[in-house]
Amino acid sequence: MNKPAVPIVISEFYQQETEKARNEGLPGLRTQWIRGPVWAKTREELRRDVINGNNPITGKPVMQEIVEKFTKPLTAEEKKTGEIIRTKGPATFTDTPEKLQKMFLDNRWTDFLPIVLPTESLVNEMLKGTSHSPDETVGKMSPTQTGTYFEDWTYTVKDVAVNAVMAGCKPEYLPLILAVAATGKEAISVSDNSFVEALVVNGNIRDEIGLNYGVGAMGPYAHANTTIGRAWSLLSINLGNCGKVGTTYMGVVGNPMNLINIVIAENEKESPWEPFSVRKGFKKGENVVSLLEGWGVLSAANWKAASWGPVMDYPKAIKDIFDQQGMLFGSCAILSPPIANFVKNAGYQTAQDFEKWVAPVPQFPMAKMAPPVAKAVPAAATEGQTPAPKPKAPGGMGGMSNVAVIVTGGTNNNYYSVGGLRYLRSVQVDPWR
Amino acid sequence: MMKWKRSAAVLAVLCLGLFCGYPMMNAQAPAKAKTSAPAEPKITVLNPLGTPPPIKLKTMAPRLDTLDGKTIYLVNDGFIGSDNLLYEMQDWFKANHPKTTTVYKRKGGGGFDSEDPALWQEMKEKADGIIIALGH
Repeated sequence: MNKPAVPIVISEFYQQETEKARNEGLPGLRTQWIRGPVWAKTREELRRDVINGNNPITGKPVMQEIVEKFTKPLTAEEKKTGEIIRTKGPATFTDTPEKLQKMFLDNRWTDFLPIVLPTESLVNEMLKGTSHSPDETVGKMSPTQTGTYFEDWTYTVKDVAVNAVMAGCKPEYLPLILAVAATGKEAISVSDNSFVEALVVNGNIRDEIGLNYGVGAMGPYAHANTTIGRAWSLLSINLGNCGKVGTTYMGVVGNPMNLINIVIAENEKESPWEPFSVRKGFKKGENVVSLLEGWGVLSAANWKAASWGPVMDYPKAIKDIFDQQGMLFGSCAILSPPIANFVKNAGYQTAQDFEKWVAPVPQFPMAKMAPPVAKAVPAAATEGQTPAPKPKAPGGMGGMSNVAVIVTGGTNNNYYSVGGLRYLRSVQVDPWR
Repeated sequence: MMKWKRSAAVLAVLCLGLFCGYPMMNAQAPAKAKTSAPAEPKITVLNPLGTPPPIKLKTMAPRLDTLDGKTIYLVNDGFIGSDNLLYEMQDWFKANHPKTTTVYKRKGGGGFDSEDPALWQEMKEKADGIIIALGH
């Protein structure tokens, strides 16, 4: 377009957007930093804090800076063209184990826990888990919705194996990890929502590699569940440049589940319904991993645990929670086999029947959080002012109501979890053997 | 008396032994330290990182000599509050740069970062400068 432009960004994103502009080839991008947040502020507040306020980074008046950004001639630096080649750095590092652990930690190549140092021999052992060439490109990843906003980093089978070693994985886990890595879906999203990611694994591979789908299925109570989940996060940090606070991670309150994610092997044997993967179009017995993303799950409705028989209406209890929470980023119910059987016996012969019934009414939760009308400056309140529009639902967000019902866990009691997880996609594992 | 002499002799021998042994103990100390803390062996590990893409530097658009007589598009990308912020900005331009024309537009396309070809074309033809809000 070749027109001078000034993007307005709240100063909390200074680090992130400065890096982003540099990576996009515009290191001198004249962004105007303002005091945040803008969301939910009245026009009077915006006038005071932003229009008549100062840039929190430079301390200078915002509007004066905007005018200068349009009119100040470009510097020699801003006129530069060309290409800057970047590499991942040296292929290897040599030092004592103690110093290497520190180096990995200092460079933020870890999740802040000690790692298994990826020696050549351990990585070669890991690579025995796949027939694919170590140099084969697996995919690309960025800190959010690969291919849209951030730059994409690329990685090979060997790169994935290195991170699998670091996480403590066994070679037999590698095909599953490669299948996940090949989707390009990051385990640690940049989003300020503090998202968590989840995997649902179906097929015989669950038993082959020892994934737990009995008691404690969603927790860190099996080597495979724990280390596979950790590997996804570590490879996201190192192969997708994710999880760097201030630049590629902006989750407002963070999410402890980012450490090992939610790895769910479905309890197909005890489930009264078809496996999750079959409902997504795969054959029964096929090794499939499905990816979900959202706010996470919580143990639910246990205040009704002492109610039995007709008083304890689990389908209704689950639906009430879904409706109340208003799932902007999908709805998910993770049912123990007893609860799933209860739901089936309540008349839902298939999981799809239940998913259809329990789905929240399409809604627009963000609309509830729009700036308060009563506090906004009324339309044409002051002569010469641009009238404020009638508040309405903003475009480009919300409306998603994906529902996923998954069966896992033990049969020792009637517990279940619900929460916000939206289904993303499913992929086969075996092509990565 | 005899008993006392025997005790004194034993004490003297012990003291002599201690005195004579001290340098030996002292001499052994460094040798012991050397063997108890051998240098930790070094190992070689692989780089865990992926490969970032090259950066292609882009030339920024030429700046304006003045805002007088120019048209600035104020583009709302859809983030909540952008509308009110840009309306306030529009009022500021009216008050402080009356010779500047501002045009408020709500970007279409369904997402903050989605394309709006029609608006891009309009701005290509009519805008002298663009302010876009909001990055959160």
